[in-house]
Amino acid sequence: MRLRTLEISVGAFVLAGALALVFLAVKVSGVNFTGSRDSYTVLARFDDVAGLRHRAKVSMAGVTIGRVTGIEVDLDYGEAIVTLELDGLAGVLPADTGAQILTEGMLGARYINLLPGIEEEFLEEGDMILDTQGALVLEKLIGDVVTGMRTKK
Amino acid sequence: MIGYLRATGERALVFFGHLGRASLMWGNALSGIPRWNDLLLLVKQIYNIGVLSLVIIVLSAFSIGAVISLQFHTQLAKFGAEDAVGVGLAMVLLRELGPVVTALLFAGRAGSAITAEIGLMKSTEQLSSMEMMGVDPLRRIVAPRLWAGMFCLPLLTAIFNVVAIYGGMVVAVEWLGGDPGGFWIGMQDAVEVWEDIGKGMVKSVVFAVVVTWIAVYQGYDTVPTAEGIGLSTTRTVVLSSVMILAMDFLLTLSMYGDFR
Amino acid sequence: MADDNFIEIRGLRLRFGRRVVFDDLNMSVPRGKLTALMGPSGTGKTTLLKVIGGQVRPDAGSVLVDGVDVCSASRAELFELRKNIGMLFQSSALFTDMSVAENVAFPLRAHTRLPEDSIADLVLMKLNAVGLRGARDLMPNQLSGGMARRVALARAIALDPSLLMYDEPFTGQDPIAMGVVQQLIKRLNHALGATSLVVSHDIHETVAIAEQIYVISDGKVIGQGPPDHLRTHDSARIRQFMNGQPDGPVPFHYPADDLHFDVLRETSG
Repeated sequence: MRLRTLEISVGAFVLAGALALVFLAVKVSGVNFTGSRDSYTVLARFDDVAGLRHRAKVSMAGVTIGRVTGIEVDLDYGEAIVTLELDGLAGVLPADTGAQILTEGMLGARYINLLPGIEEEFLEEGDMILDTQGALVLEKLIGDVVTGMRTKK
Repeated sequence: MIGYLRATGERALVFFGHLGRASLMWGNALSGIPRWNDLLLLVKQIYNIGVLSLVIIVLSAFSIGAVISLQFHTQLAKFGAEDAVGVGLAMVLLRELGPVVTALLFAGRAGSAITAEIGLMKSTEQLSSMEMMGVDPLRRIVAPRLWAGMFCLPLLTAIFNVVAIYGGMVVAVEWLGGDPGGFWIGMQDAVEVWEDIGKGMVKSVVFAVVVTWIAVYQGYDTVPTAEGIGLSTTRTVVLSSVMILAMDFLLTLSMYGDFR
Repeated sequence: MADDNFIEIRGLRLRFGRRVVFDDLNMSVPRGKLTALMGPSGTGKTTLLKVIGGQVRPDAGSVLVDGVDVCSASRAELFELRKNIGMLFQSSALFTDMSVAENVAFPLRAHTRLPEDSIADLVLMKLNAVGLRGARDLMPNQLSGGMARRVALARAIALDPSLLMYDEPFTGQDPIAMGVVQQLIKRLNHALGATSLVVSHDIHETVAIAEQIYVISDGKVIGQGPPDHLRTHDSARIRQFMNGQPDGPVPFHYPADDLHFDVLRETSG
């Protein structure tokens, strides 16, 4: 085994491995390397966030504009407080923007959908969205339907 | 009854003896500052251990990726969720199959080669003669292989993952007519750098340490006969495989287990 | 006779588990002479060489090699000492991933900082001494057993050591190869002015070149002296060994019951 061939193949191997790692990071996990994006944080209160996970997407009109970065519970009111990290600068979304928890497809992951409001004041860093609709939990739905059927009778 | 207890006790002592010897070997081999000459030895071992394993890794990766993709597609199609093939494939590979299968293949190919090589050197008195000439075989023979093994396996795992995902993509998109956008975007949305890739790599590093250590120690501790070498080589593969799967179980539990 | 002993062994004791290997062994290897270590197989002759080389630590006793107590020497001292020892292993122990020339160069590279061309010249000289200069680019697996042994010998003398140890150099060779090795051992002993220690159970070859013989059995020295002295030794054991008699103190029959008894038992059982 000639030394040069050996060194070259080892170098190629290490390069391939490194590229594989980079590929995994970028293509497979979609990590962005575009500098430090501007982002701001808003909060939202929900009565039920069943199934919502960290890093779930936040979208408006089908476009992803941010991620869920925190889910906590407010023990006083029995509600969930979700932290949303949104791209871009603050002061774009109206103060009466609504947030709902929807499901991707039939069995997909939960995500947050924002519905734009009409007020002229805007959401700033750390503001709270109050107009929310919690996750639809299948069992509750069925329970409502059954109760509804019973009361009709 | 007493005889049984004594036999078990003796076995335990033997086991601890092995563990002790293996640890000492480990410590002695890796202590000391590596010199420039050692680098050439290391490069040679990276070639033997890493580069020569590429063929089997790549071939297996492509097949496994393709096969899983096909199976996922079949099952998900029942729910109309074919677009989730990318996500499922990536998750399964990055978290489990990538590190585990690569490590198993590695143990079979590179691990057994290491054991056989060192065992052969021991039984032909090469290790002894090296020592007689004042060169420490732990530094010259064992250490480069330990470092090379620990370095190569994570790289091989990364390569495995990439090739497997590619294989899966070929099946899902080209053959079964899936939507390439859905495949990739779904995957990118769901896969996280630390949670999935990172933890998978951590597993890979743990496996690398375990497999390489076992392979080298079995070689170093071989009974110096032809039969002994065969036994040691087999033991490397079996012991490595069991340890890989056991450690995977523990690691998966601690990394992803939800104990609430 | 002013005996300057290169190796002095006193009270050597060693056990492997329950097996006693050496039981109060005493030996003096005179400087510059060719000494042979002989005895039945399995008496630990190879182990003794390893003790002398510092690879195996005894349980008790002192082993002085050129004035250095090998049992208590530090790593650095052992390293220095081994520069001066050349050992020929029974299986030649050539490094299979290197060529013949690289094998011979190994000790030179490990112990000296000589430039590559000096090393190359030395390698050629050593290979020439054993008659294998033309084989310098071959790989060990291309060599016959006899050639491999000669290359190993060239490697052992690479640093012109003061002590040369040979572990069963005559075993398993055709008469020509044996003759070659025999002559090389003798010649090198004189040329280098070295102390040579040959472990062997090939009486004929060893006796022809040895100036002093130690016979070892059961972990002790049971006879020593020049070759002729031993052939007519008082001890029956030594006479049996030296003259190659199949039966004597070391019995022909493995312990068993009386023959008639055994046969009768078979037929009636």
